[in-house]
Amino acid sequence: MTAPSVRFTDERLANGLRLIVSEDHLAPVAAVNIWYNVGSKHEVPGKTGFAHLFEHVMFQGSGHVAKAEHMALVQSAGGTMNGTTWLDRTNYFETVPSHQLELALWLEADRMATLMDALNQENLDNQRDVVKNEKRSSYDNRPYGDWFHKLQEHLFPPEHPYHHPTIGSMEDLDAASLEDVAAFFRTYYTPNNAVLAVVGDVDPAQVRAWVDRYFGEIPANLAIPPLGDMSLPTVLGAESREVVEDRVPLPRHFFGFRAPVLGDPRYDALEVAAQILAGGKGSRLYRRLVRDEQIAQDVAFFALGLIGGASIAAGQATVRPGVDPALVERVFEEELERLGREPVTDDELVRARALIETFELEALQRVDERADRLSMYATLLDDPEMINRQLGRYLAVTAADIQRVAAEVLRPDNRVVLTYMPATESASGAKNEETAA
Amino acid sequence: MTLEQILSSRPSPGKPRTYDFPHFERTVLPSGLQVIAVDVPNRPLVSANLIVRHGAAEEPPDLAGATILTARAMSEGTQRFPGVELIEAAERLGATLHVDASWDVVTVSVEVAASRLGAALELLAEQFEHPTFPDSDVARLREERLNDLLQVKADPRRRVDQAFNRTIYTAASPYGRPAGGDEESVPRLTPDVLRGIHRSVLDPRQAAVVIGGDLAGLRVPEIVEAVLGSFGEDAGAKAALPAALPKAPRSDSAVDHPIVRFYHRPGSVQTELRIGHVGLARRVPDFHSVQVMAAILGGLFNSRLQMNLREEKGYTYGIGAGFDMRRGAGPFSVRTAVQTAATVPAISESLAELRRIRETAVTAAELAAARDYLVGVFPLRFETPGAVVGALGGLFVHDLPDDELTRYRSEIEAVTIESIQKAAQDHIHPDRLAIVAVGDADAVAAELTAAGFGDLEIITEELPAGAEEVEEAE
Repeated sequence: MTAPSVRFTDERLANGLRLIVSEDHLAPVAAVNIWYNVGSKHEVPGKTGFAHLFEHVMFQGSGHVAKAEHMALVQSAGGTMNGTTWLDRTNYFETVPSHQLELALWLEADRMATLMDALNQENLDNQRDVVKNEKRSSYDNRPYGDWFHKLQEHLFPPEHPYHHPTIGSMEDLDAASLEDVAAFFRTYYTPNNAVLAVVGDVDPAQVRAWVDRYFGEIPANLAIPPLGDMSLPTVLGAESREVVEDRVPLPRHFFGFRAPVLGDPRYDALEVAAQILAGGKGSRLYRRLVRDEQIAQDVAFFALGLIGGASIAAGQATVRPGVDPALVERVFEEELERLGREPVTDDELVRARALIETFELEALQRVDERADRLSMYATLLDDPEMINRQLGRYLAVTAADIQRVAAEVLRPDNRVVLTYMPATESASGAKNEETAA
Repeated sequence: MTLEQILSSRPSPGKPRTYDFPHFERTVLPSGLQVIAVDVPNRPLVSANLIVRHGAAEEPPDLAGATILTARAMSEGTQRFPGVELIEAAERLGATLHVDASWDVVTVSVEVAASRLGAALELLAEQFEHPTFPDSDVARLREERLNDLLQVKADPRRRVDQAFNRTIYTAASPYGRPAGGDEESVPRLTPDVLRGIHRSVLDPRQAAVVIGGDLAGLRVPEIVEAVLGSFGEDAGAKAALPAALPKAPRSDSAVDHPIVRFYHRPGSVQTELRIGHVGLARRVPDFHSVQVMAAILGGLFNSRLQMNLREEKGYTYGIGAGFDMRRGAGPFSVRTAVQTAATVPAISESLAELRRIRETAVTAAELAAARDYLVGVFPLRFETPGAVVGALGGLFVHDLPDDELTRYRSEIEAVTIESIQKAAQDHIHPDRLAIVAVGDADAVAAELTAAGFGDLEIITEELPAGAEEVEEAE
């Protein structure tokens, strides 16, 4: 198979905006993806959920765009768009027919330059309500819904910026004011804190001219406060456990581990290990827990790459009815520990590499994915060329690398175990009502 | 120029590059199997789907779930490759074979490097033709489905979908049943039942192989014929007969006046809502007017429902509405989750929007927004071979003409304000819809009763018998 090769230019405007442009004329489509180097890790106590609430505010209009008009203009142009917020960053993106690229660039520039001209209390209150409903539907009203937030609490100490959830708390969302929005905007939404990737059926010289025109005069903020030291001991030091009673019919274990940061070759080895452990029906955990011993309803294991001190490796297994949850936990952990004790087989490695190669080629087919990755690697690792090296790094991972990283990461003194159990009748008034009725 | 001057002039679009849906070639093999090949140059991966028009809608009611379970069990080993050996062989090619069943079809699909297409198709054919359905694996998959049904009851979103379908269809329609089967039918799904379903699926006259990607130098029909040219009993003999499209499933409505079914889930912080009725099949003459109407009502980000319930009122993170078009009439529904206190106002506003789309003509600006979106986004939808192959599979499933996709944009452009209103009046029925909800009935019952949306039924179900665990935990 041909290794992916994404050619791109990588420049900085005088105001610090990093512009990455990659030309590909296969389809008449262009993708814009702008990453701001600000995420929920930049939030301070009492202001959790703010980076994400702010992302919603970015769609409420700016100096020359009315409320909801951003969506209307992009969709009428035949495009799609959205924004996402995560621990390390916030991003905004549009994919448009290529003749509509200038519109997407203008929209991003207008809100970077003039967001505050349009913001008012009514729009902030409205989006606060929307975000509170997002929290309810994505976490609070969903079985097992808060598992990741609990994992964060166990994996990171209270003073660490990864300790609190990106969605924030209801109290902090209620407390967010227009002044908070303005201060956040002035501090972080500046060209020198952003990477703009443009990929697809575009003329790079024309892109540069448009970006100079629309973004070139937006002032930098030379006083972005540096993040505190986020470094952490590589392992937790002792296993951390919690039993959670929830309205669920089947018990489920969630496992979490501190892991090497994104960009560390050991992180690549961990991704390959995750494929061997739980990537599909040929994987170790699926075969043993679901297929052979039939003690779990489903299994998963994956890594979430982060840069602030540690990444997260996480797993889960849903316990079949009538099976002792402790047995499922023991077998799951046995498989993780076995990975650190003995090398994976040649055949497992061959299969994992082949699958990862296909996944990577599939992902990179699309211009929006390429734009996202170029911005990601530039923002998090200052290395957009990683887009062309990542597959090679996965394919270079050896059995010894996997064994080493498994031994370092997937060990009991670095482990969080959350066990969700069906709530007992005395666990909540709500439960009493339901059984009584 | 100042930044203000620069930003105050909106850019106008450039000249659009022409886009045509990729050209495809259709061949019918002697067995009756259709081969549809579409060249999408310079892509590293090829996408291949084998589609059979024999879906879950065909199965008898007492065997609900048999088709989906058959599809799942087809990954549990074949004569030549018992157990997980077939999965492993595919993985060595960097390929994952997926077998899926829907109401309309069974699909076996694979995505693989072009150089490995032949080898991947051989495995696909093996999996499709020769699964063994071992007793122990089928028993395990049945258990997994029964456990999944327990999870459905605990998950308000899945629970409301299941309740909504059961509410709007009569027992004569398969669409009221869970496609994966229920607590009564699943225990009946023995390996012999699955083998029977599998024999029906092996019908080349109802099957097509769609392959897309960089096919330069590949003689696709010959490659397909070599590995899939002779499945099915008496394939050649049957091929002489015309391949009639299977009959569309029944889709009778069980609702003839407004009703409300509220499933009590104490302490819920949101109410999951589905509002609607039996909708439309895919093959309807006013398909394109329906698409534009549904986009304005509940499809666009700035749809009427979104602007009202999300951007103005803040009742929800998102609300949508649309038609799930199948070979028979799938549901039309408004779908959302709202904070508990907003339950009744959210239903009122949703119903008001359903009446408004019928009673008042959409504006020219609304028509333009929906039309320009659907026309403009068309090329974006088909960036990858997998997406092109999926769309061509849809033509086969619904027996649509070859130019259906090439005509799509001009058909959308021909939609008028009048045809939208007619589509709304013909296909949206506020006088005979069901409002189905999962939420905290205690918190809203009085308000709901006073609102008088329709015959109200509040249902309290025991939480599922994950009983063993509950007792253990006590």
